[in-house]
Order: sequence, then C-alpha cells, then structure tokens
Amino acid sequence: MLESKYQVLVGPEGYLPPAAASMGVTLPEKGQALVEGSIVSEEEAIEKIAQKILEAKNPFLFPGPLLLWDWKEGVAEKAKAVKELADLAGTRIIPMPDYRPKYPMINPAVEINPNHPNLTIWHNKIDFCLFIGVHCHYANVALKIIRGGTDCYTIALCGEAGHEDAMISLRDVGLAQLASLTEAVARLKGVAGK
Amino acid sequence: MIEQKVVTPEQLFFEAEREEQFITGSEAIREAIKSANVDMAISYPITPQSESMHLVGDIFAEGYIKEYFRGENEFAVMSSVAGAAMAGVRVFTATGGPGTLRAFEMFPTWSGSRLPIVCAFMTRGINSPLTIQPDTLEMAYMLDTGMLMLHAENGQDLYDMVLKAFVIAEKPDVHVPVGVFADGFFVTHTRDKVNIAPADMKLPSYNPNCAPVPAMDMETVPFRQMRDPFVMKSNFISYAAHASWQQEILAAAERARKYIDSLLGGLIEVENEDADILIIASGTAVSQSREAIQQAKSEGLSVGLVKIKSLRPFPTEQIRRLAAKAKAVIIPEFNRVGWLCREVKTAVDDTTKVVGAPRVFGGMTMPPQLIVDEIRRCANE
Amino acid sequence: MNKSIFKITPCFEDIMPDEYKELVESDPFGKGLGVSQLGTYKELLEEHPLCAGCGLALSLRLILASLPNPEDTVIVGSTGCSALAFPQVALHNIHSVFGNQNAVASGLKRALKLRFPDKVKDVVVIAGDGATADIGLDMVMQSWFRCENITTIMLDNEAYANTGGQESGMSPQGTVLNMAPKGKKFPKISMPEIARESGCAYVAAISPAQPKRLEKMVRRAILTAREVGPSYVQIFSPCPTNYKFKPQEMVARIKQREKEGFFKSKEYITTEAQEYLAGLEEGKKDE
Repeated sequence: MLESKYQVLVGPEGYLPPAAASMGVTLPEKGQALVEGSIVSEEEAIEKIAQKILEAKNPFLFPGPLLLWDWKEGVAEKAKAVKELADLAGTRIIPMPDYRPKYPMINPAVEINPNHPNLTIWHNKIDFCLFIGVHCHYANVALKIIRGGTDCYTIALCGEAGHEDAMISLRDVGLAQLASLTEAVARLKGVAGK
Repeated sequence: MIEQKVVTPEQLFFEAEREEQFITGSEAIREAIKSANVDMAISYPITPQSESMHLVGDIFAEGYIKEYFRGENEFAVMSSVAGAAMAGVRVFTATGGPGTLRAFEMFPTWSGSRLPIVCAFMTRGINSPLTIQPDTLEMAYMLDTGMLMLHAENGQDLYDMVLKAFVIAEKPDVHVPVGVFADGFFVTHTRDKVNIAPADMKLPSYNPNCAPVPAMDMETVPFRQMRDPFVMKSNFISYAAHASWQQEILAAAERARKYIDSLLGGLIEVENEDADILIIASGTAVSQSREAIQQAKSEGLSVGLVKIKSLRPFPTEQIRRLAAKAKAVIIPEFNRVGWLCREVKTAVDDTTKVVGAPRVFGGMTMPPQLIVDEIRRCANE
Repeated sequence: MNKSIFKITPCFEDIMPDEYKELVESDPFGKGLGVSQLGTYKELLEEHPLCAGCGLALSLRLILASLPNPEDTVIVGSTGCSALAFPQVALHNIHSVFGNQNAVASGLKRALKLRFPDKVKDVVVIAGDGATADIGLDMVMQSWFRCENITTIMLDNEAYANTGGQESGMSPQGTVLNMAPKGKKFPKISMPEIARESGCAYVAAISPAQPKRLEKMVRRAILTAREVGPSYVQIFSPCPTNYKFKPQEMVARIKQREKEGFFKSKEYITTEAQEYLAGLEEGKKDE
C-alpha cells in the first residue's frame, strides 16, 4: 500500500489529477468518514460538511438517479430529508437524471452529467456541491473531473463504501446521517445568526 | 436445486469445519463452485482447463448451479458471461492459454464495465508452435487488463482463491473481475490434500442493487442507460471522462487490497524475510522454490521466500521493503519473458540485485536444482 | 418493470429537465402503443447524432414504437452507426464490443430468466449489417443453433458506414466502396435464408418504407422469441451518406431497389410459430 500523504483538496488540481485511491487514500470503515483524504469519525465529518455548506457562496446539491426516481421503498423519505437539508442550508439543487453522454449537449443551467460535471459547475459558478444518490462508479468519474478543473468543494454522501475522490465523504448514508447533518447545519446556522 | 444453507463469507471461510480431500486442482474448482452460490456458468473446452468446467457441468446437473451451457468459442463465452453479469447474476467461467488470447478483447471490457466476473485461468503455452503444456506466458498479457489477478500455488490455493474471489469481486467499492490463475497440469492434473468447507453451505447471493453501476434489467434506475456509453467525441471533455473512467478501474484494484488482506491473509506470504537471499515467486514456482530452499539449507545457505498471491493489485510497497534488506533477489518463472521479474524491478529501489532466473518454458518442469544453482551463485558473489 | 416505479420522486418534480417530465407524463410504458400512435406520446429515442435522412434512425424509431412490452425490454446493440443513437434511448441497453451482440444477449436473456422467472423480459438485438453478417456472424448463427429466446434485428445499410464507408457482406455485388476499390466481388449475403435454416422460428425482411408492416413483423418476431424460438428481422435501409443520395430520397431509393428486384420484403414462419402467432392474433381480435 502506498503510504503517501496525498490530500484531497479543492482544485483546480491540474490537467489529469490521479484517483485518490491510487495515491494511498483508503476508504473508511463503518462509523468513519473521509475528510480531505484522512479518516475521521463520522461525527467530525458531518460537522465539517455543515461548516463548509454554510461557508459556501453558491452551494448546490446534485441528487442522482437513485434518489430522483421513486423506484423503491425508502427513496421518497430520503429525498424529503435531502430537500429539508437543502432548504435549511439555502442550497439549490441540480439533478443528474441519468449518466448518458447527452446529445447534442446538456443545458448546464438545469442539469449535471457525470461525463462533464465541470460544465455545470463553471456555468453556475458553484463553489460547493454534494453528490447523493449517484451510482458509485459515475460519482467517482465525476468527482475527479471536478477536482481537476474546478475550484468546487465536493461532498459525496454514499449508501455504500464512500468515495476517496470527494473532499468529504460519508459511507452507509441513510436517514440517520442526513438528520445529523441537517441538525448540524441548524445548530451552526443558529450560532452564526446570534 | 440442491438444498444448501446460506452462511456469511466469514463462516464459510474461517469457521466451518473443513474436511481434507485428496483431489486434483480441477476438482478443487468444482468444490469451490459448489459453495459459491453461482447462478450461471458458461464453458468452452481447452486443455488443460476442460476438466474443471466438465466438473462444474456435473454439479449443474446435480443442482448446485441454476444455468450452464457450452458457448461457441472463448470470445463468445466471455461475451455471454458479460451479458449475464450485466443482468445482475453471479457467473463463473474458465479458460487458458490460446483461449485466453482468443477472448482477450473482453477482459478490459469486463473491467471497464465493472463486472464482478470470476474466471479461472489454467495457464498453458501459446502458439506457435502449438503446445498444450504448462507455461505462464499468458499472464504477461493479462497484467494490464484492469482485472484483479490471484495466482494459486496449489489445489488449496485454487479452492480458496476461487471461492473468495467472488466476495472480493462483488464488493461495491471494488466490483471488477477477478482472474484466478493456476499453472496448467502442475495444479489442475495433480492430486493434493485440500481442506474443503462443507458442501451443504453456500455464500449469500449476489445483490446487484449494491453495484456501482446499474444492472440491465429494466428494474433499476435510470432506465435511460447504456452499458457502456460512448465517450469518444473529439474534445477534451470526452478525453477527460474516459481518463477518469480508466483511473476509477485502477482505483477499484487499490480498494481490493484490504479485502485480499482480510480474506486471503495478505497479498504475499513471507518466510525467513531477514535472509540475505530472497526468492520471490508466484504459482508453482513457489513450490519449486521451497524444495530449492531446503536443499540450500543443507548446504548451510539461508534463503528467504516471498510468495506473491496477488499480482493485481501488486504488493509494490511490501516487495520494495523486503528487497531493500536483501543482497540478492531471485525470481524463478515458468515463462520466457519474465513478467514477474519486470514487475519486481519496477517495485524495488536497486534493480541490480534482481536475478531474473531460472526461467523454463514450453512445458518444461523446473528442477529445484536450477534454483539452487542461482542461490549458490548469489551467495558466492 | 412495474409502471408504478417509473416516476419522479415527488419533491424533485420541479427540478427535473423537461424531457424527463415529458417522458414520465406521456411515456409508452405498459400502454400497448404502436406505430399508429407515434406523435401522440413521448418517444423513447431522444435527439441523436445520426446523419440527416438516415434510414436507421427512422427504423430505430419504428422498432422502438413496435416493441410489445418496452417496459420489460432490454436491447443489445453493437458497434456501428446505431450505437451512436443508443445512449439516447430510454431503455436499458448494452454496447459491449463489435460483433459479440448475440453472445451477450444469450447470457443476458438466460440471466434475466433466472432473476425474473415469473416475468417476460424481451431481449432484442439491434445491430448493423457488418456486426450481424460479417464480424459477428458466428455468434449470431450459434445463438440461433442454441435456440436462444432472443430476437435479432439487422439494420442493413449495406455498408460499414460509421467507419467511413467500407464495403460489407451486405453491400450489393459490384459496389465500389472503401476496401472494395475494384467493386465488391460477391453477392449480398442471404441472411434471411441463413436464419431460416439455422433454427429461427420467425424470419422477416422489410424496410422503413412500410412502417405498419415493419411493426407487425417486429412484434411477431419478439412474441415468437418468447415462446417458440429465435427470430430474425432484416431492415433494409441503404446509407445516404456513403451511397451518396439525398437525405429526402431515402424512401424513394428503397422503393426503386424493390422495383428493380434487389430487395424483397419476405416472411418465413415455422408451423409452430404460425400456430402460436395465430393463437395470439386471434386472441387479440376477440378482445
């Protein structure tokens, strides 16, 4: 295993940034999370996401097909929780309805695509984005491109094992983690408001 | 179907009481597949692989596997296996030598498509001239397909690696194909003691809903989905998408390291690591090295052994660390190109201490004496 | 899929791009629509990059409109012009590599049978003439020999068009195209007859100049593949770009070729398939 001190930081990192996994960043175990390439507790990462989302000038959520389509039990509930988070944090939402390279081009004002996520980020001047409900493979393809060419801070909330290529990533995300994140945002917002 | 109890991988691999059987490598494959809860297996004959897939056919007839057929050639078989995997079932196949090369286009395609296929490769020589005899040359070509590669030393390894390969391949963060390689004839056609888990237990079934890509079944979102879409327009955006996709396949192999550690006890096994002379080998070259080390010991020479079990991902850091302490590193191989020697040379700091010998090929056995000769030479330098 | 799972999650309805909303609002899933209803619902094929006047694009639209159960249809394509349109099709579809489409479809169909034993999942191969009659012919025929329950549709544009206009086995004899600089030396491959002799229970040849007949044949082919055996449909539609005729002349060109005797619509049906289809078509009349 490479024991590098590679950090997954906000870009633009360059022409072709490496996969963080190939630079020695490993995925967290259950109950843990990744912040900028280092393994931390899930609580710490949630706190950090809440901070970052509130600090951002133009934060966006990017829900993917697993959440945009009401295809199985539990999706609607999870989507509602994501919507609540967005409303509270004051973020806008741009969907990733599917993964196809779209012909002739996407409308970057209203959608995002994993093959060229940078177009949507540049167009809307997005400085913070949160992926949720995107199949892991396509999320990783997109997250590296974002790190390479934009200055957007990336979060990946994953239902499986997490994402090294996001600046912050939670694994096994369900309603409980979403509730904690919303609560952290509310708490920090309250502090900020006083 | 035969009644089998579904148990966790940990129960099956580490807790269930095993029974010792005296069986061939081909039979070890059969025993592994019995417990692997495989949905479909597709076969095509080629020596020395055929017998293993005959035996898999037999257990299909007994009810251990739901579907089995013989395809029309290796390229077609690897394509059918890909179709089945995209539909969201667990599949198994095997080939070797010329069959591997006939099918070659499909291996990077499997990886790029994130298909958790397990394929056993019973290695043999490659034409021309025609030979059916053991030779590990085909593994050189497989190193950069994006597949994970495990190399079995003996029947026990083959049994454990095939069975565990399904679990490693199907991890949502890995989810790339695994090739389990065994040296044809030396492993497939010889009998050895193999400890086998009870055949009335099997792994949990594959869950396509945890996959990093959607199954092609019209039950999984998104419904507007091509596996896999063309990313080939002539612009930087397309190149960047393709590049990121390729990097993700390499990343998947990196993520497999921890699962190989926990399930197979590591990417390597080391004996006597502080010795001045180290042998680094994989497959049956490890067994020959063990013999040679015994002989060298009787001459008062202390030699360490590094058995590489996983070639992809490659134990780069471990090899670098181990080689740094040694005076010489001997790499015996069953092929003419010395692919393991190349791999080791890319990992170590000082390549001058790497001895790419002995090498035998074309079906030759490797008399341990050849390795002892190298040990003596290194000791006298 | 059950139609109830094809919907946008309630709290995201407002943010979805229009084409997705339209697809959900007027989709063809589970409604038994056909070619006659084209224009009254949202088609499964979105905007695509095929050339103006391309008969494959029209054929593909007609095929998609003819699917008896689009909500449970998985398509396998191959490399070629049509593969450029497939990412824009709102059905699960597979592009593996060039020529292996029928082998992929064999594994796919058998696996879907295992996973969904109580449901019909139609597997339809749609590939070009190069993929079907040249590079993939062994796998096409072997899938027929094995009696796989799949439908194979060839989009016959009489050339390798996507790679820049090379002669294919389906080009007419004498054709001068790339890689046949002195003219093609052998006649067009008799694929319908090969299909008939290789175990297909239903075989048809048609062109997009006859949309209603094309629909009937595609439906018959897919229904036959479910219960009786493999089926084959060949759709004739020469390439305007490489055969250098005007896009608007595509249909006229097909009719002219038909008049000259170079193309003939045909249908071969085994007795078993005939009885099965008659049963189904009779049942439909009774409804």
